[in-house]
Amino acid sequence: MNTTYLLLEVRRIVRDVPALFFIVALPCFLYLIFGATQDYADEPLLHGNVALYITVGMAAYGAVTATSSIGGMAAVERAQGWGRQLGLTPMRDWQFILVKTQVAVLLALIPVVGVFALGHATGAEGSTTAWAVSALAVVAGAVTFSLYGLVIGLAFGSESAVNAASGMLVILAFLGNLFFPLSGTLLEIGRFTPLYGYAGLVRYPVNEGHGSSSPMEAGRDPDSLLWLLGNLGFWTLALGLLAVWLVRRGRPRQ
Amino acid sequence: MSSTTPAAVEIRGLHQVFQRRGHDPVRAVDGIDLTIGAGEVVAVLGPNGAGKTTTLDVLLGLATPTSGDVRVYGLAPRQAVAAGRVSAVLQSGGLLRDLTVRETVRVIASTFPHHAGVDAVIERAGLSALAGRKVAKCSGGEQQRLRFALALLPDPDLLVLDEPTAGMDVTARREFWAVMRAEAAAGRTVVFATHYLTEASDFADRIVVVAGGRIVADDTTERIRSTAVGRTVSALADDPAAVAETLGRLDHVTSVTVEGDRVVAHTRDSDDVARRLLTTLSGRDVLVTSADLEEAFVALTETARPTDRATETGA
Repeated sequence: MNTTYLLLEVRRIVRDVPALFFIVALPCFLYLIFGATQDYADEPLLHGNVALYITVGMAAYGAVTATSSIGGMAAVERAQGWGRQLGLTPMRDWQFILVKTQVAVLLALIPVVGVFALGHATGAEGSTTAWAVSALAVVAGAVTFSLYGLVIGLAFGSESAVNAASGMLVILAFLGNLFFPLSGTLLEIGRFTPLYGYAGLVRYPVNEGHGSSSPMEAGRDPDSLLWLLGNLGFWTLALGLLAVWLVRRGRPRQ
Repeated sequence: MSSTTPAAVEIRGLHQVFQRRGHDPVRAVDGIDLTIGAGEVVAVLGPNGAGKTTTLDVLLGLATPTSGDVRVYGLAPRQAVAAGRVSAVLQSGGLLRDLTVRETVRVIASTFPHHAGVDAVIERAGLSALAGRKVAKCSGGEQQRLRFALALLPDPDLLVLDEPTAGMDVTARREFWAVMRAEAAAGRTVVFATHYLTEASDFADRIVVVAGGRIVADDTTERIRSTAVGRTVSALADDPAAVAETLGRLDHVTSVTVEGDRVVAHTRDSDDVARRLLTTLSGRDVLVTSADLEEAFVALTETARPTDRATETGA
């Protein structure tokens, strides 16, 4: 394990203040608006309350923003010739991927710690298992979304495309039912979008696939674990295959 | 250990063909054989698209050739890179703009089990005063010196430079070659690609001229220079056409033209032409000039073209 490289990557991220804003500050702010300050925040769910449910959702949004930017920047760095520079060292491709994955995990931990701490301080409640398993699921699932940034970065090779992809995550998070409860047609469409499975899985420890029981969600069937896993599995596989195809397409000539 | 030391570079039958959808394939390298001994300083000279970068990419293990065998100190290129035997200064790009000079050196150093020392290479590349500066704020020449510092990290036996002074101004270019001379004097094998004949002849002991994916000339710098460069001798004559015909029969005269009353001859032996003009040919107002290096270079690489029609489609 190359700790020098890893620590330097962490330092690069800490220096990038605007990015940190989107990763931690924005999710915290969203939690306060949609969670802590609402009167339904204290309503009980199966293994916690609504405030915890919203805490987990916002942390997940911050985490995917973080990991997709890592994936995107990895692709852009290589497009700009850093891959050739590393090609002149003993470092292998898999070691580069390992460093970036470690960075993605570390970065995904920042919103989890930040939003969970804020939630804990402002009324989010739940079983220890609900807190712990949700936190783990947020980090583990977020790592797969570095593929989303990677695909965009590989396809367009520019920083602005990666930034646009982060912006697109807002729409995907909305459709994925992360920000506030969807219903009707939007929900039917949302069930197939990339973040839906992840959003449902990270909150499963809190309410087992049921919605947050807010008035808008009355009468909705719970999501099955199978559907949520299927959604995440499908999108991970699709993005993974797309990434492999893009890498092969870009290989013959720079 | 074998009794004979392997050559620094051994290239046999190298071909690199790039397939392009909807176009004819590009033969970027079309049969190159090249041996470079340890301690040589060799320039690979050629116009853009001649196949220089493609050849160096294969030599550095950055590209897999379509066919052919490449050895660096008897090792496969990727092994030679991993063992720190060969390193390179690549063309522009390849640096992370948000890192400082020192951080960049540290990160690359961290990938080598043994290296020459972060501060040592920064010093040798003349970057000590800039160590804390962000890469984005460094000039083109400074960034190139940083790439050079990175190339020194593994303390390589072979240093490959791909158009190392592209984008540098005259001062930066001079400084860069001064530093490089010190490295070559220390016994490193140096192979560099350039499209400036001046740069090749100022720095290399040997010049390999590449055009259309093939080697069109390979000799000592002195010989390449005299073949490529030569001199131009011109004089006024009463019967320029007759004088031109006489000069044209000489072996060392490569071309003769008549411009008004003046006969202009391009030759490898200017003394002989001048002597004849002033004696038997009764020429007047004799001028001897050194041919323009760049023009000569164009002449040198153009000669390869007619046999290489198929490869002219770009690359």
